Amino acid sequence: MLAIFKREFLSYFRNPVGYIAIALFSFLSGYIFINNFASGAVNLSLEIASLRSFFVVIVPIITMGLLAEDRKRGTEILYYTTPIDLFSVVAGKFLAALLLYGIMFINVFVHMIVTKICGGVVGVGAWGSVVVFFFLAALFISIGIFASAITDSQIISAITAFIIILVIQLLSTIGKLLGNAISAFLSILGVSAESASSFGDKLESAINWLDPFAKTSNFRYGIFSVAPLFFCVSFTIIFLFLSFRILEKKRWAQ
Amino acid sequence: MIEIDNLVKHYGDQKAVNGISFTVNDDEVLGFLGPNGAGKSTTMNIITGYLSSTSGSVKVNGHDILEEPEMAKEHIGYLPELPPLYMDMTVLEYLNFVCDLKKVKKSERKEQLAKILAMVKIVDVADRLIGNLSKGYKQRVGIAQALVGNPDILILDEPTVGLDPNQVLEIRKLIRTLAKDHTVIISSHILSEIQAVCDRVVIINKGKVAAIDTISDLSKRLSGSSKLLLSFKGDAKKVGNSVRSIPGVTDFKLRISDKEVHEAEVIVDSSTNNDIRTSIFFAMSKLAAPILEFRSLDPTLEEIFLSITSGK
Repeated sequence: MLAIFKREFLSYFRNPVGYIAIALFSFLSGYIFINNFASGAVNLSLEIASLRSFFVVIVPIITMGLLAEDRKRGTEILYYTTPIDLFSVVAGKFLAALLLYGIMFINVFVHMIVTKICGGVVGVGAWGSVVVFFFLAALFISIGIFASAITDSQIISAITAFIIILVIQLLSTIGKLLGNAISAFLSILGVSAESASSFGDKLESAINWLDPFAKTSNFRYGIFSVAPLFFCVSFTIIFLFLSFRILEKKRWAQ
Repeated sequence: MIEIDNLVKHYGDQKAVNGISFTVNDDEVLGFLGPNGAGKSTTMNIITGYLSSTSGSVKVNGHDILEEPEMAKEHIGYLPELPPLYMDMTVLEYLNFVCDLKKVKKSERKEQLAKILAMVKIVDVADRLIGNLSKGYKQRVGIAQALVGNPDILILDEPTVGLDPNQVLEIRKLIRTLAKDHTVIISSHILSEIQAVCDRVVIINKGKVAAIDTISDLSKRLSGSSKLLLSFKGDAKKVGNSVRSIPGVTDFKLRISDKEVHEAEVIVDSSTNNDIRTSIFFAMSKLAAPILEFRSLDPTLEEIFLSITSGK
């Protein structure tokens, strides 16, 4: 696993990909920070929360090639014909992408230090946001890897990851729309207004249950809990495991 | 030693490999021949553990590739049709990465890599990016990759495809050096290549073994009769009649007939034990027809291959 991790991580810097991702993140985080700083209202939790909305762009960039490129170039054959096991291939690539995110995130730590030096407050809420940020990053990277496992085209992989992450980011809106739509539809069918709207609400809360952003929203007020993190970790593992199974399937395809 | 027993691989309804069995002995160089799409690459992919078979088994030095994959893979170095190279790494970085994958001990690594670099002659380019190397060098790096971990079996899938004639000769020379202390399987649809380096050939066609034999035995078995090439001066008609009358000669075919020089194919029934060449010589001298060239015409691998794969 270490070998794969090392290769993939260094490979980010042999290609433009790593630099593009870091530059993009630095620009975005710097822009948000400077704007807040100039107005004298630095809110690091808010900064980090805004940065989360760029997962949808940055994650596909850094994950699209991870497995797709190996498949296309035939280098995946190394994983199948050497004693290394396929899960550690997936895990090594996942950790490489996560570390790249960590490196990008140094920007935010610098902002914290600047805030501190200038007499600002880096509260427990900011640290809560940092924790959530990484758990969400892990979740989305695993989704990106999954998207990279299903195809040998980087473009298709990036688009797939983009769409899945976009849907997750819009889950609360989607939930609201679908809930309202279904209650309206039921009332047209003659169901009593009360039960129609209660069904709509249930659907909405069911969809909201899947929303990792809503689940972890309390962290930025400094309220930590294990369940939301467990939720993120579980889904991360599920997506990594699915990617691993897709690699395995290639061997057993009939 | 590799024992392949009744290997079958389906892709949907299509049977890419349909009951292949053969054994590769220690320290032999086995040629694996077949037209494109015959199942060569699939078979090699199964032997190396890249693909699973639908049924049948592969044992590498006694270890089943599916039941004890780690033990079996340790013995195999594989160069696939498309060498698995990372274009963004230098040769040395790449070979170190392969060492990691093959779990070569850190203490042995430096020595082993130095030996491999020297053997495949890529010392000069060790610090260059693989993406910038010529095709011949890339192929060498691919072979170097297969040699990492000191496997005793090398499986090379079309090792000279797409190389220029000089590079082909160099790679062939390299394979011959490697063959001294490795068991080697080479697949190819280029017959001269197999003829140049192999002891034995397995010919497969449409997913089945069409023939397994040494090259010389194959040609004998196939022809049933042997051919002689005779080029001479003199009266072609008279010579023809006289040679045909020699017992053991089944046919005399004039191939080229010039004003003076003629060339003929003499087909001899190989079941007759006495050497027919002496009789032909004296028959010719009696007619005062000087012999310009006289040699035996064994079928080339090309002819064997065509006659086997076309089902004749």
